[in-house]
Amino acid sequence: MPASQQGTSGAGPVPPLLRGVDRAAFAAGLTRRLRDRGVAVDLSAAGTFARALAAHPPATRTELYWTARIALVRRQPDLAAFDALFAALFAGAGLGTDPPARRRPLPPTGALAAVPAPTAPAQPGTGLPWATLPAVVGSAERTAPDGPAVPQRLPTAAAGWADVPFEALDDEQVALLDDWLLAGLPRLPTRRTRRLAIRRRGNRAALRETMARSRRTGWEPIELVRTRPVRRPRRLLLLCDVSRSMQAEATAYLHLGRAFVRAADAEVFAFATGLTRLTPVLRRRSAADAMAQATAAVGDRFGGTRIATNLRALLDSRHGDLLRGAIVLIGSDGWDSCPATELAAQLARVRRRAYRLLWINPRAAVPGFQPRVASMAAALPYCDRMLPGDTFTALRRVIDAVADCDVPVRRPVTTTA
Amino acid sequence: MTEQIGAAETLADRMERVGYLVDDGLATALFLAVRLGQPVLLEGEPGVGKTTAAKALAGALDTALIRLQCYEGLTASEALYEWNYQRQLLAIRLAESHGDRLRDADLFTAEFLSDRPILQAIRFTGPRPPVLLIDEIDRADDEFEALLFEFLGESAVSIPEIGTFTAARRPIVVLTSNRSRELHDALRRRCLYHWIEFPSAARVAQILRRAVPAAATALIASAADFVGQVRALDLDKPPGLAEAIDWVSALSMLGVTELTRPDATRTLAALAKTADDRDAVTAAFGALDGPDRARA
Repeated sequence: MPASQQGTSGAGPVPPLLRGVDRAAFAAGLTRRLRDRGVAVDLSAAGTFARALAAHPPATRTELYWTARIALVRRQPDLAAFDALFAALFAGAGLGTDPPARRRPLPPTGALAAVPAPTAPAQPGTGLPWATLPAVVGSAERTAPDGPAVPQRLPTAAAGWADVPFEALDDEQVALLDDWLLAGLPRLPTRRTRRLAIRRRGNRAALRETMARSRRTGWEPIELVRTRPVRRPRRLLLLCDVSRSMQAEATAYLHLGRAFVRAADAEVFAFATGLTRLTPVLRRRSAADAMAQATAAVGDRFGGTRIATNLRALLDSRHGDLLRGAIVLIGSDGWDSCPATELAAQLARVRRRAYRLLWINPRAAVPGFQPRVASMAAALPYCDRMLPGDTFTALRRVIDAVADCDVPVRRPVTTTA
Repeated sequence: MTEQIGAAETLADRMERVGYLVDDGLATALFLAVRLGQPVLLEGEPGVGKTTAAKALAGALDTALIRLQCYEGLTASEALYEWNYQRQLLAIRLAESHGDRLRDADLFTAEFLSDRPILQAIRFTGPRPPVLLIDEIDRADDEFEALLFEFLGESAVSIPEIGTFTAARRPIVVLTSNRSRELHDALRRRCLYHWIEFPSAARVAQILRRAVPAAATALIASAADFVGQVRALDLDKPPGLAEAIDWVSALSMLGVTELTRPDATRTLAALAKTADDRDAVTAAFGALDGPDRARA
């Protein structure tokens, strides 16, 4: 029971609570205060509230609570803000029995808590950056060539840096590679839906369309219209490890996540000791803004890693259904402070829901790499593929591997373990 | 009947009479939906009784329930209306055999229209407006939501060949969603909204008593308590009210009058829907009060 209801239950019938109150002004005032608290309330909701007050005049505070809540709040996450506002406004208020109280103005809205503005992105050298170290400065001075110069074909800046390990890239280069990654997403896996669309090479006859077109031919159905199922992008879900051991790779992986979010409406979560959903902030057009907001959103970055705990949190949350039929990518080196058996149990649950599970490991690129970490070894049986993720070229290969998930044959785990 | 309902309490009483116990919030939401003629969107965890609420509302108002179950790929022809092509073709052949000339307008009339749930609700001619249940709207595509805007806003459906059908009396529309995806703001804006919480153990017991009258009182009390504890476990599918009712029905059918661990174990399939959940509940038996206390 919400806090605002307490104290009203069991009260006998009392006169209508808002006798003599201008319903429109009351609705508008409450709406404005709700909006000040960050709840999206539109004009039509205020209108509905005013009509609801007329249809069902509240006699108790509980009735006022339910009428206001049902008419004004449209989302479950907004309920907490509404409850807080309602308690602040009406707890202890005696509007119905204390007419002079109605003449007293309500407290100014400036006293309410404001939504905090996002903090400015960290400048290089002024704190912990997301991933990159200061740029490597070339030492060799170029001398002016003598005589006629032959133009030399060089790779574009992005392609040139694509093979450089993440540690050696600066912010500017990473931002450039962001566009390069996005350009590598023309082909992503799709799934068949139950929706049908008219296609020349369809395999079913569309009766409705055929009939409609037969109007042109004297009601003789000459042209047979065909349909076939529509295909949609398959859901992608990236879990990015932002713990200390992944400091160099975290930003690059988030750029990959941003590319997926923008191109395929993917879901991205960051995890270290806790789980943070980054999908809304990564959807921003500017890569710098997206990364700055992601930095602000993840409070526990560069801390310890609890992969199994975070996987369980994801599975149990309301986002757990996002895994169903999805291609799940986990970007992590497998260093986990949770027991390996727990990780195996959670990955088994993930595997049952997901369509494919791909693991991106920055250490896997090293020749002779073997997954000796207990958690990594425990995770491998549940992964469809393990892919190296140490450079942007490797991330391009990850994109190709995601695209290959359309191939119906399941591949064995590519590992030497 | 709807005109006679003057307050939310009256509606709650009526719903109780048809076997659905309703709390203040849901009673207010449904009452406002009836009085304001505005659709109501019910959200909550699976199994809290969203669909049953709509059915009970129809029962309480003594009116028809029209149900539209949403799924991926649901189209206008399945939800709004469809032309009866077979009848149209027959009409053409018949006209040919009589030597008549048919025009477009002759074939695209209300006579050849097959009503689907939404148009059925609009053209309903019963003594009272029907309750239209649009179930699990989150399962339909987001394009389908856009298709509903005209109906939800104005209780009307436009058919290009004929014109716009507007309901003489607004049907009472109940939408339900399990939040498997976010619904569009435009849809939410057109609806009243109510989030249904899972009821307390005492209320679950009250509901179980209604739903399974044959079950013993002691069994119902301990089962309601046990279900509350199971919900607190780390499960893939925490049991809802529907599962609790199934479970108590199963126990009651087996002649169980008091909850014991062996009985709970053999009927666990009604409560835990995955192998993992079954293992989790079995493993937690020792820590849970119900079956352990009354060990056989």
